[in-house]
Amino acid sequence: MEYIALQLFNGLVNGSFYALLSLGLAVIFGVLRVVNFAHGALYMLGAFAAYLLLQDFGVGFWPALIVAPIGIGIAGMVLERLLIRRLYGLDPLYNFLLTFGLTLMIQDGVRLRYGLQGQPYPAPAELAGSVSAGLVAYPTYRLFVIAFSIVVCVAVWYVIERTRLGMIVRAATERPELTRALGINVDRWVTPVFGFGVALAALGGVLAAPMRNVSPLMGSELIIFAFAVVVIGGMGSIAGAVVAGFLVGVLASLAAVFNPALENVVAFALMAIVLLVRPAGLFGSLEARS
Amino acid sequence: MRRGLAILPYAVGLAVALALPRVMYPVLALDILVWGLFAMSVDLLLGYAGLLSFGHAAFWGLGAYAAAIVAKSAGVPFVIAALVGAGASALLAVPFGYLATRRRGIYFAMVTLAFAQLVFYVANEWRDLTGGENGLHGVPRTFPGLTLGRSGDFYYAALPLILLGYAIAYRIVHSPFGHVLVAIRDNEPRAQALGYPTWRYKLLAFVLSGGLAGLAGGLFALGNGFASLDLLHWTTSGQAVLITILGGIGTLWGSLLGAVIVLELRDALTSAPELSGVVTGAVFVVIVLAFRQGLWATGRAVLRRLGAPPLSARIEISEGEVRHGRS
Amino acid sequence: MKRTIAGSLVALLLAAACGGGPGGGPPAKLTDGKLVIAVINDQSGVYADLSGKNAVEAVNMAVEDFKAKYGENALGGKVEVLTADHQNKADVAQQKAQEFYERSNADLILDVPTSSAALAIADVAKAQQKLYINVTAATTVLTGKSCNKYTFHYAYDTYMLAQGTGVTVTQQGGKSWYIIYPNYAFGQDMESSFRQAVIAAGGTVIQSDGSPFPNTTGDFSSLLLKAGSLKPQVLGAMQAGGDLVNVVKQYNEFKLKDQNIKLAVGLLFDTDITALGQDALAGTVYTTPWLWNMDDQSKTFADKFLKRTGIRPTFAHAGNYSAAWQYMDAVRRAGSDDADAVVKQLEGYKFNDFFIRNGFVRAEDHWVQHDALIAQVKPKSEAKETFDYSKVVSTIAAEKASRPLAEAGCSMPK
Repeated sequence: MEYIALQLFNGLVNGSFYALLSLGLAVIFGVLRVVNFAHGALYMLGAFAAYLLLQDFGVGFWPALIVAPIGIGIAGMVLERLLIRRLYGLDPLYNFLLTFGLTLMIQDGVRLRYGLQGQPYPAPAELAGSVSAGLVAYPTYRLFVIAFSIVVCVAVWYVIERTRLGMIVRAATERPELTRALGINVDRWVTPVFGFGVALAALGGVLAAPMRNVSPLMGSELIIFAFAVVVIGGMGSIAGAVVAGFLVGVLASLAAVFNPALENVVAFALMAIVLLVRPAGLFGSLEARS
Repeated sequence: MRRGLAILPYAVGLAVALALPRVMYPVLALDILVWGLFAMSVDLLLGYAGLLSFGHAAFWGLGAYAAAIVAKSAGVPFVIAALVGAGASALLAVPFGYLATRRRGIYFAMVTLAFAQLVFYVANEWRDLTGGENGLHGVPRTFPGLTLGRSGDFYYAALPLILLGYAIAYRIVHSPFGHVLVAIRDNEPRAQALGYPTWRYKLLAFVLSGGLAGLAGGLFALGNGFASLDLLHWTTSGQAVLITILGGIGTLWGSLLGAVIVLELRDALTSAPELSGVVTGAVFVVIVLAFRQGLWATGRAVLRRLGAPPLSARIEISEGEVRHGRS
Repeated sequence: MKRTIAGSLVALLLAAACGGGPGGGPPAKLTDGKLVIAVINDQSGVYADLSGKNAVEAVNMAVEDFKAKYGENALGGKVEVLTADHQNKADVAQQKAQEFYERSNADLILDVPTSSAALAIADVAKAQQKLYINVTAATTVLTGKSCNKYTFHYAYDTYMLAQGTGVTVTQQGGKSWYIIYPNYAFGQDMESSFRQAVIAAGGTVIQSDGSPFPNTTGDFSSLLLKAGSLKPQVLGAMQAGGDLVNVVKQYNEFKLKDQNIKLAVGLLFDTDITALGQDALAGTVYTTPWLWNMDDQSKTFADKFLKRTGIRPTFAHAGNYSAAWQYMDAVRRAGSDDADAVVKQLEGYKFNDFFIRNGFVRAEDHWVQHDALIAQVKPKSEAKETFDYSKVVSTIAAEKASRPLAEAGCSMPK
């Protein structure tokens, strides 16, 4: 029983990463109508940025948690300005393919420099301990990841759903012409929003660095799970991305109690069920989206 | 005279196909033709139904595994094995298509990608059948009265089946069914209003496409003598899409040109491995940004400027880009 | 001038270390006037550092040293070294192998990590009737179900790893095991090999669990939690590469060591130690065919290799050097590069070189039997240089490290 309870925490940790990635995808899709395939690669860059900050500049985890997402976010804005912007008038598929190509380039570029094996990254000293939890000592760092991700997700949701800034962004998403007619400059928000979504992915990467192997391919499979999560939650829905992210994480971990092989399959099975029962996703509405 | 001219491109194509193993390594030549067929099956959906499948590796891989298993365990002639591969993939395409065609555009791409990944995991776990990470090796290829051990021989034995695959793709595109698909692609509500059960059309297109991908995958497994998990990986889907758009979306034959370039490129990169991902990625980026019409349309435009007759005067639906606006 | 003398001295030393008969004798007859050795391996993926381009360099060194010992024309013609990156893909490996054998007239294919690629090439070698010596793949299938007249397996396999680590750790008092393994062919192979070895050594396996492969999340916490609740004396991790790095990271994170759960690792490469940092693994016991710092003749090779490539050799680099050398020596003895004649020379051959100790090429399954090492990772404070990762704890005799023929399941076609 205790084991299952602790497994629940593991599920929440995995869910944190799904949620952060899907949240970024959803924010970007909401405003730009771009499905960013490179999201997994940018998550990886976040982890590498943390590693490099520590290795080359002696900058530790806490500053990296701020600096790396900002840096990668700015890189994302440059990407949007230089490349992604050129394809706005076309079918969104083209941006999907463009970002797929970028994924290959980013992953391979990093591999060329650092190899595939992965790099070491220690947990911050303050969180390196563990909390006694009966059977085992549960790592403090993992509890921090859960708490921190939830705070970030709630904050993003609050900004978008409850503030004036969020209102503008949402209005720009749903009624771009009307918003423009009201004298609000929609285009001004496009680049920062993309950068913000990318920063969320990079933030996930920094959080992952002390727990997971920092390697060029660390985001390459994760992105497909994030896609499944986004379809389950309802594309473009902020709350949907977060809830579905944690849901998939927890369900997959509980399934692993019965058979570890199920862990990989749960997300896709859930996606199939959602498509059958509620094609728009748990929190999505069909007419506004497809 | 006119009729002769219309046939000419096909005659040239056939002559090239027959001569190919003489000018390049036969295994590579066969790979080009089957990858071309695989990419055509992607194009059938993308170019004519406006559906980007990013999960076609599932059908290519399943076709390969099914053909390999049948050839190994039952020792049937390779033609039967390849057709079993096609059938298995078409069958799998029914439930996948049923679910995936519930969403359109970019969602469709994500859903197919996710389902293909599911197939990858299942194949990986089901080791008794698939050999897991080791794959299936020593797949025999037989045909009564023929010795097919050498790759050059198998190329010619498999050629009729490959050409049949091309012909089927061509027939689908140029049939009334194909025209309805294009109508759905361009304006689905309108097609619905005209009384077409558009969803059923898309599902049928998906199943046919899956079957063709399975045929290509089956022939690939027989030609190379093995089936492995790479065939099911999402990067394989990506490569098929790359070939399709490089050749030109909605051109069908462009897929063959795309296959020549991509496979030759891959072959060349085995001796400059450090660049493989960067180069492939860069090709993707450049094509999407600046070369969306693809090789086929570009080649045709050049020919036309030179005063040659059009290669195919039949239908010109897809010169431009797939445009749905912002979905 | 000084350098060349030193260089040739080293070459001579190495040549001497590689054994074989005295120099001279009539040069071999080569069917096409040259000997072609093709190295097919991973030059861009996870195994690129383990073998990769530097393995090709090792083979080039072997060719140069061989010529230095036996004379420029010892083999009766030019020796060419070709290479290709199989990108860890079985289809690419198979095609390159076929192309090398058919078009480039390759006489030998070497290295080939990744079991699916390794097995694919075994089929090609069999069909083309040309030699293939696998160095870096671990699968016992190469000398089992897939064995054939032209395929040899050189450096290590899962059986050796289990006999080494499994038996040693159990005998040292780690009686109860919880084994976790990646759920694919290699992992299962490892699991059953270790289970047998542990039980035979008087230990018990409380439980074993497969982890999903590929492990997309990089998360092994559920298995590690279970380890905490099962309280075994030993946690046997059969994961490889990036997965192993994650397991060790999380083993440390969950502080299982403090609960007296020892970590035993099935397969550990120098490249994994680089990725984790030496201290994260300090004290870990593992099995390896070779260490560059194990003795003087190995160090001699390692020094030369360092000069040439800037790194210390992994066992894969040394293994490729040694395998290329032994192949050329077999050609020399056979007086021909005819595959059947060379196979005849290799079968039953007993030899020693800086890499292989008490070597014996089994004719029945083509496993190259030799001593294996039990090694232990040193803490960084004990390391004398960057690549000084491990030390030898003990040696396992060649027969003990080799799978008994009765278990191999190879029916060698003649």
